[in-house]
Amino acid sequence: MQSAVELRNWSTVGRLAMPNAKVFVTSIVLCVVTAAIFASWLPLQVSIVTLFLFAGPHNWFELRYFLMRLPVRFGRSRNFFLTAFAGLGVLTLAYVLLPLLYNASLWTDEAWSIVIASCNTMLLFWLGLLVWLRSKQKRHASWTWTIPLGLVLASLNWLGPDLFSLAIVYVHPLIALWFLDRHLRRMRPAWLSAYRRCLCLLPLVLAGMIWQLSQTSALPEDNGLFWRITQHSGAQLLPQVSSHLLVAVHLFLEMLHYGVWIVALPLIGPTARFWNVKTVPVARHPKGFPRLVAGMLIAALAGVAVLWLGFSVDYSTTRDIYFTVAIAHVLAEAPFLLRML
Amino acid sequence: MKALLAACCLILLTAFSINADVAKPPKPADKPGKVVMRTSLEIAPDAKAYEARLQISESNLKSLQASLAGTVQGNTTIPASIAQSPTRTIIAGLLMFLSISVAGVLLARRVQKAVVAVIVLVAVLGAAAIITRGNAAPPGGYRWRNLPQALADGKSTFGNVDIEIVPDDALQGKSMRLIIPLQKQNRPGE
Repeated sequence: MQSAVELRNWSTVGRLAMPNAKVFVTSIVLCVVTAAIFASWLPLQVSIVTLFLFAGPHNWFELRYFLMRLPVRFGRSRNFFLTAFAGLGVLTLAYVLLPLLYNASLWTDEAWSIVIASCNTMLLFWLGLLVWLRSKQKRHASWTWTIPLGLVLASLNWLGPDLFSLAIVYVHPLIALWFLDRHLRRMRPAWLSAYRRCLCLLPLVLAGMIWQLSQTSALPEDNGLFWRITQHSGAQLLPQVSSHLLVAVHLFLEMLHYGVWIVALPLIGPTARFWNVKTVPVARHPKGFPRLVAGMLIAALAGVAVLWLGFSVDYSTTRDIYFTVAIAHVLAEAPFLLRML
Repeated sequence: MKALLAACCLILLTAFSINADVAKPPKPADKPGKVVMRTSLEIAPDAKAYEARLQISESNLKSLQASLAGTVQGNTTIPASIAQSPTRTIIAGLLMFLSISVAGVLLARRVQKAVVAVIVLVAVLGAAAIITRGNAAPPGGYRWRNLPQALADGKSTFGNVDIEIVPDDALQGKSMRLIIPLQKQNRPGE
């Protein structure tokens, strides 16, 4: 009932008028093609600029979106949200500690891979638990197939923990497209089929990028920043694959991710007047928390400013810190996406 | 006080002398070689050749360079890293087993019995084939068994070979060594 009320409000509050589905589709195709061209052409330079400009703001918009999706009272979803927030805290702490422990050189390579595999298994277990709790609320949905799927993923994770972690890096940007799909289904159902047809373009563009870049020479790693960017894209784990291809594909997916969170979702949804705290249901409700929500959004805005300052002063270190802490927003997407299914 | 200091000095000196008697640490065992790549090799006699030649394809050389780079950096290939980790392999196998079992149970509950029967039959046949090793490859050195005779006849022999990197002193001054898995065969009458 809560979400139904929210949806009615969302459909009327602050939505910018958009002409029609054709403009929407044209915009998507243009964005995808442009992102692919820039990511393939100058991967390192565009990566630096993109992260600088959009990393912080996209986190701010995500936080706002999650606040929009948060009910005023948890009610029947109490266990779901408690599990979500507890797991979010524990897993974020675990993933943030990993680089610190790695720098301490406490373990051998083998023991280290077991530690990473254990963390990833915890993540999968948490996701499985959330799926189970969510499935209990959906009477007609059968999500039991997720059990063998989760076990297969856990098994693959134990075979190659580093590769599994790298897969998360590449899969995470695509989750934003799933959010957009669910959002369109509720806010602009007429556009949904056009959007899904646009998604078919994605594998074609990726195939084109792979075809064009697979034989290119490796990107220069002559300074610490370039080396970090190639490592983050998996150049060390996949030495047979051109680092140019890896960085380009990762950057392309990241650009789509930022585009969805910063442009597409605010334009389609009720976050068009994103500066107005009263558009957030949990702040607008008589029993809500307007000050807390306002405080969180202002603190997040300050975080964005600090991030920009950090990038200006020491880009490499800030990049490392950002990607270490950013695991929190990766994890946070899971419960809110499940709530939309 | 002096007596106390003297006693301390004596104890310390004794400790040093005791340490001096400690046996030397055992000499570390020779570092084993590390298999970095598996490829194929042909040993071909050539009556017209003046020198023995080692021919390597460009693609194999690149793979070898990549493997060596991984070895130097402490990294191994993905299959090698899996094979070298029993703990992770066991856990992965257990989880895979659980996954297939759960999927099978779910499938059996949903799909018609006839389909389940077919799937079970295929699984049993597959398992039987694996158990009886009906499709097992011959042992590694099988292809090399006729090498002496082939060399004597001037014919070439083709088989698999592991490229193993060993410490410098392991080859006793030589640069390379080719080890062929041949068992001594007793001639009739011996």
